[in-house]
Amino acid sequence: MSKHTWYKTYRPYISPMDPCPPITVKRYSTPPELYVGYQPPGLAQFPAYEALKAGTLWKCFYDPYYSVKEMKKGVRE
Amino acid sequence: MKQLPPEYYTELEEIQAVDFVIVELVLYLHTHPDDLEAVKQYNEYVKLSKGLKKEFEKKYGALTSFGYSYARYPFDYKEAPWPWQV
Repeated sequence: MSKHTWYKTYRPYISPMDPCPPITVKRYSTPPELYVGYQPPGLAQFPAYEALKAGTLWKCFYDPYYSVKEMKKGVRE
Repeated sequence: MKQLPPEYYTELEEIQAVDFVIVELVLYLHTHPDDLEAVKQYNEYVKLSKGLKKEFEKKYGALTSFGYSYARYPFDYKEAPWPWQV
């Protein structure tokens, strides 16, 4: 199975009539839960305090929401 | 106005962490009602949360009103600090 990516991108159609500077690449977030389907029981969990900071109880659903800069800098996984 | 002791914040954050786990488990149990492990963990955290809140309210006053917590005399629920002032 290919490696999970935090974001996916697409290139919208850019019309010559568009008065504004075009946005050539659009990016949308693809967190892990999109690909899991029905959650299996007994997944690994964060301890309570870390879960509060991570925003989820289950390790596999953690999404760090890396910014564009962080992604460019070759962010750690 | 009396300032809050620093441990007020650590204890409140601890309650917050425990309650977050409870919220996550409730949402999980909505779709997995027969997961025994999760139900056990949920009950364990509810017990922990009740204990923490009892201690907290003994020291710093009621966390929630309208019948969820005991009141002090004189009734000080309306006194500062309110949640957004904490």
